[in-house]
Amino acid sequence: MATNPSDTINAGEHVFIKMPSDNVKCIVLKPGSTVALGKFGSFKANDIIGHAWGNSYEIYDRDNKTRVYHLDEINEIEETENNNREIVDDASSQKLTLEDIKALKNEGLKGELTGQEIVNKLKESHATFDKKTAYSQAKYLQKKGKKFHKVFTPIKPTAYSVNEYFYIKNPDKIRGMRMDTLSQLLSYSNVHSGCKLLVVDDTQGLVVSALAERMGGNGTILGMYDGDSPNYDILKYMNFNDKIQETIKVLSWLRMYRGVDEKTPDELQDVTQLTGKDLEGYHRRSKAYKIVEESRKILHAGDFDGLVIASQYQPESILEKLLPFIRGSRPVVVYHTAKEALLDTSTWMRKCPELLAPQLTESWLRKSQVLPGRTHPEMSTWGGGGCLLTATKIIDFPVQAAMTKRERLAMEKKNAEAKKLKREREELANSSNDASREGSAAPVAIASSSTIVVETTSTDATDATTGETTTTTTTTTIVQEEDSKEPSSKRTKLE
Amino acid sequence: MASTSASSSSAIAPAATTHSFARYKANNIVEDGDLVVLYLSKENVILIRVDVNETFNCKFGSYRHADMIGLEYGTKLGSNTGRGFLYLLFPTPELWTLILPHRTQILYVADISFIMNFLNLKPGMSMIESGTGSGSFSHSIARTLAPTGHLYSFEYHQERVNAATKEFEDHGLSDMITLRRRDVCKDGFDLVDRVDAVFLDLPAPWEAVASAKRAFKKNKIGKICTFSPCIEQISKTVTALSEHKFVDIQMYECLIRFQEVRILPILTIEEAMEKERIHESKRQRALPRVLRDSYLKATAKANEDEELPPAKHMKIEKGQEEENSNKDNDDTNKKDQSLSGTPAEFEASGKTVTITKLPVEQRGHTSYLLFATLPPSVDSLPVVTLE
Repeated sequence: MATNPSDTINAGEHVFIKMPSDNVKCIVLKPGSTVALGKFGSFKANDIIGHAWGNSYEIYDRDNKTRVYHLDEINEIEETENNNREIVDDASSQKLTLEDIKALKNEGLKGELTGQEIVNKLKESHATFDKKTAYSQAKYLQKKGKKFHKVFTPIKPTAYSVNEYFYIKNPDKIRGMRMDTLSQLLSYSNVHSGCKLLVVDDTQGLVVSALAERMGGNGTILGMYDGDSPNYDILKYMNFNDKIQETIKVLSWLRMYRGVDEKTPDELQDVTQLTGKDLEGYHRRSKAYKIVEESRKILHAGDFDGLVIASQYQPESILEKLLPFIRGSRPVVVYHTAKEALLDTSTWMRKCPELLAPQLTESWLRKSQVLPGRTHPEMSTWGGGGCLLTATKIIDFPVQAAMTKRERLAMEKKNAEAKKLKREREELANSSNDASREGSAAPVAIASSSTIVVETTSTDATDATTGETTTTTTTTTIVQEEDSKEPSSKRTKLE
Repeated sequence: MASTSASSSSAIAPAATTHSFARYKANNIVEDGDLVVLYLSKENVILIRVDVNETFNCKFGSYRHADMIGLEYGTKLGSNTGRGFLYLLFPTPELWTLILPHRTQILYVADISFIMNFLNLKPGMSMIESGTGSGSFSHSIARTLAPTGHLYSFEYHQERVNAATKEFEDHGLSDMITLRRRDVCKDGFDLVDRVDAVFLDLPAPWEAVASAKRAFKKNKIGKICTFSPCIEQISKTVTALSEHKFVDIQMYECLIRFQEVRILPILTIEEAMEKERIHESKRQRALPRVLRDSYLKATAKANEDEELPPAKHMKIEKGQEEENSNKDNDDTNKKDQSLSGTPAEFEASGKTVTITKLPVEQRGHTSYLLFATLPPSVDSLPVVTLE
């Protein structure tokens, strides 16, 4: 038997059951229960619990017994002389009546006939079956097989299979994210064991699930949510063990910062005075508060290795709030169902000094039927799969490389001139006490790229990641210089 | 293009550092001996190994490695001349795919991502990849299987083996990747009951299917992917897979469309006509006097209620006329600018539309991705109740 618990079908876990019709059913595998698959019969859960994933089972006999079944779909076909010249498409070719077929079906359900036997009967009583082309015969048998074979395949829930299940069943639940788009999101986010990610996931937990699977229980995911509690419904389908489950933390947008009037349960109530239900309530609140505190600590520690957004809300507004917590040279990935919703975000990103090279992509996926002599793209395929907007977080604090002596002198000269200009302006403006400011000369290094610095001072001056106080002082100086240029130049024009 | 005068020779020298593509550095600081991706522009991205004595030169100036040391990854570094700058980025498999030296055709992010997702790769798994090629996919796989998983990579071309061995070592991946020179189609993988997944990028993948089957862990499900550009290769592989009892054979193609976002100015027809009128009035003034007079006479009546400048000009003296027309020109220039200004100006006035544009030429096909599942060996299964 396989040793790793994730390699076997375990009791109590979610399992996808693929049926001959290609429909997939999701069940929770309760020990001792019987799982009904409608017209394909039913099987006993215990018959597959403990087995390795990957086999198909045939239901046979009257007691719903199961046995491993090898799906042999790929048949070479030898071409015959037949063609469809004499095939008339009407109901008369099948000699069995509807009632006869229903009776056969019932026998099949009772386990008195196998799927194969039913299909053979249908074939035998088909008047023109022998006249069909070989390909047509194969197609007929396959089609009937899908109706009468009592074969099922348990499928292990993984990021891919869960994604596929919901993409087909209820794409709105996961905001139309298709498997290929999710796969690219995982690549662009560079998720791996041990990283720390900040996530805004409104795909009911699909994104969080896929990221957690790739981290394998090492690292941290902090999910920002709105409403009473995070809706990560999809997590439950993944059968994660505790170790992986514990890597996922959540924080409400409303609890992002400690409110002015926010009180700890201890501050609200004196625990020594509490008894009975009140004490229980206190412990419950206390526990909830601790979780919030812990998540908040994780958020404010910053140093996130990536930001992944798949939200219904305006991405720019989220980026503005969360970018400060992301480290330099780390990916930012934004997903949205509609390309149009990302256009403004893309423009915003291009202007944002903290983001490098935004890129908008849309994925295209096509599946083909592969059968010997009959390979072609499937007749109906997937429509949209969503769009990704990716960029790299950079540190908006330009550093000047070392200069030669000559270059440094030239730069200093330029700087001195700028200072002189500034002084003149101040004298002209007749402001009372600015002399003290001039003492702090802007370091030569940063002066050249002042324009970029200007934009951030407002938003980021308080951010801890930019660090030293010297930085903030220099930036302010530059801002003043920037301001000073305009009026003085106007004045010269007037003169 | 950047000339890597100093760095080309010593671009990637092996260093005794644990720095790896497979994980971020805890302090996120560039240190001597680290790998750094220098991002100059989308088309100009270079991987270097920081060496305190080296300098990176390009046409915008030079950057001493010593100046990079101590900076956080993601920092924008200005050149010594102040004319250029670059970004110090942390190397990732995705960046490596963009910059690696091509020894073969390589896999790009669309295929890499889809295959990894379909094969359900995650930390701790073991996998076979053949051939190694330029090592594009190897980097992504190693990152995803890290830290406990393992990649067995096979390549029959000696030079590619040498180059990839060195790269894996330089990139801190050698403890996770076993690279062997081997013709797997002839000699097989020589692995038994060892891996969870197999990826075949070979001219004749069907020749390696039997050996791949032996390499799969016996007691669990196995997933295989083959990557072939031609449909004929797929046909043969499908037959081989089916013969070896692989099931659930599926084929996909996956492409990424890179959308370019643009802000286009958009005029109403009234605005366009206004522009046209301005042009027209300019053109009239450029006509020879004789022609202009006759033209104006002809149109004067029609324009009676419209206040067009030429009507006035007719009666003004030459000097004045010039001054006036200059002034007019100034006005029209201003108007012209407002109508054909920069996107930013348009944006401010709200006369724009944001669009996406697909490149004129884009990738239409990479390869067919063929997937199949190998059920666990039936022998090892616990009792399947038979009477």
